Amino acid sequence: MPSWRRVLALIAVIAIVALRLELRYIQLPFLDRTLIAKAFEIRPDRLWPEYPRFLEGVRARTQNGDAVALIAPTLDWENGYSYAYYRASYFLAGREVLPVADSEGRLHPENFRRAKYAAVWGREMPPGRATVVWRGHGGMLLLRQ
Amino acid sequence: MAAALVSIVSMAVLGLPVALAVDRRARGPLLIGTAFLYGSGLVFVVLLVLSILHIRWTLLSVTVAGLLGCSVAWFAGRTRVSTQHSALSTRHSSPHVLDLITLLTLAGYALYATLAPLWEWDFWAIWGLKARVFLEQGGIDWRFLGSQWNVFAHPDYPLLVPLNYDFIALLGGGWSDRWLGVLLVAWAAAALLIVRGLAAQELPPFVASLVTLATASAAVSAYVGLAEGPLIAFGAAGVLFIRRAILFDDPSAWRHGALLLGLAANVKNEGLALLVAVGIAVLILKPRMVLRLWPAAALAAPWLILRATHVLPTDIVAGSVFSRIIGRLPYVVPMGRFLFARLHEPWFWLAIVAGIVIAPAARRRREAFVLIATAVQLAFFITSYLATPHDPRWHIATSWPRLTVQLALPITFATIMMLAVSFPGVEESADAEARSEQQ
Repeated sequence: MPSWRRVLALIAVIAIVALRLELRYIQLPFLDRTLIAKAFEIRPDRLWPEYPRFLEGVRARTQNGDAVALIAPTLDWENGYSYAYYRASYFLAGREVLPVADSEGRLHPENFRRAKYAAVWGREMPPGRATVVWRGHGGMLLLRQ
Repeated sequence: MAAALVSIVSMAVLGLPVALAVDRRARGPLLIGTAFLYGSGLVFVVLLVLSILHIRWTLLSVTVAGLLGCSVAWFAGRTRVSTQHSALSTRHSSPHVLDLITLLTLAGYALYATLAPLWEWDFWAIWGLKARVFLEQGGIDWRFLGSQWNVFAHPDYPLLVPLNYDFIALLGGGWSDRWLGVLLVAWAAAALLIVRGLAAQELPPFVASLVTLATASAAVSAYVGLAEGPLIAFGAAGVLFIRRAILFDDPSAWRHGALLLGLAANVKNEGLALLVAVGIAVLILKPRMVLRLWPAAALAAPWLILRATHVLPTDIVAGSVFSRIIGRLPYVVPMGRFLFARLHEPWFWLAIVAGIVIAPAARRRREAFVLIATAVQLAFFITSYLATPHDPRWHIATSWPRLTVQLALPITFATIMMLAVSFPGVEESADAEARSEQQ
């Protein structure tokens, strides 16, 4: 191997290794991680911090297999309803979480009618006959009749 | 945290007989790394089979089935491998001081991955969501996957990662996302142990530790809770074993590579694409050897059959794929420019390309397998952007950095291998190794 190529090869290896050093992880054991941990903890729900606590309350009062329709402060998919629906699906795993709006902007009142419960968060009680099972953390759980 | 740690140790213990069945003489980092990956894969297979048989997941049912699975693997491999020579175990690597930096990277990653309950959107909307739903059901919930309202959770994605989360939950007695990040650390550690072990087969400890350090960045996936980390672990390990198998005609490396690639296909759809890319590369370089990949196909097949029988939708092939590809062909150049502009860590990729160009032609030919497999996988990624039913710019912006990291580990390994001859004493060492293996 010619010496010029040997030198270039060494430079390339040094560059590859140097560019792949993960300084953020190497430094982490020596940093105060409290603030970073707090930031990650609140990251999924930073806009609606009460919402997970409400969903925990709904979970405690429903059973696996129950159909739960979800009503959130907005029914606009891109501006919050998708987050509300995905998050409810996670916290209410085992229940059948039903959206009342979809990504195409269509409303689905049939899902509301089909559900045994309605989880209503950040809104007034919707019209229709229903019993309030529980109120808390900015929302209510309705048993539909 | 205890449940996550006990689960990881349990996976490694369950995987140990499988790793030894594949290569009875395996020792050191290669044995530990492969044992954990096989344990993780075995847990997935066990939970999948129990679910297919409608046997509810409990700690007891999973433990009994897991022990049965690893016993079968042990007895199946016992007679065959005892008569075969394994090139993988002929060299033992001594540690080098550079390994401390890799260890520090891994320690920092462990702190990062466990800072808080898993926070990524895709964790609680895809991977963690499915795991939690299945745990409630005590098996795979096909109704959930088939529901039109759950398409957002990508029902077609393979299930190795969610089922591994479920194993931890079963051991912990319930769902908790607080310490699941430990599993990501274990996958990364397994990948790095395998890289270190394989590099040490061909290089002196200093260079082997340098290769491991350079690949650590790709192994420690910043997308904590997603399937990128395990995909890189299974996929990269599989590619590197097949590289080894091709270079040294090593039967145990063929088996490792095929099994790990089959498991990669059960992590993400990109794992399936990687299996095809590897198949193409093997066909080009060693056409007669392609049948040795049959274990990979056998492992990938069950999920493909299940998702077809349950008609689980795959968004990338929704509608008319070919008309989308044809319609976007005139925009290939602007798309290429956009991909280049959004390239994650461009200086690193520039260094890789420079390294490949600088390397002696003989060394490039030696690493042809990794180069071809990487190029084919890259072509698959670009084709998926042409075929996507979504806005391609959005699709590229949200996935391209992750996809390039998936390619980074094997190509980094291969590039440093090409350039390593420039290190004093390496040329002789690598040649001597190659000669001794081929005799």
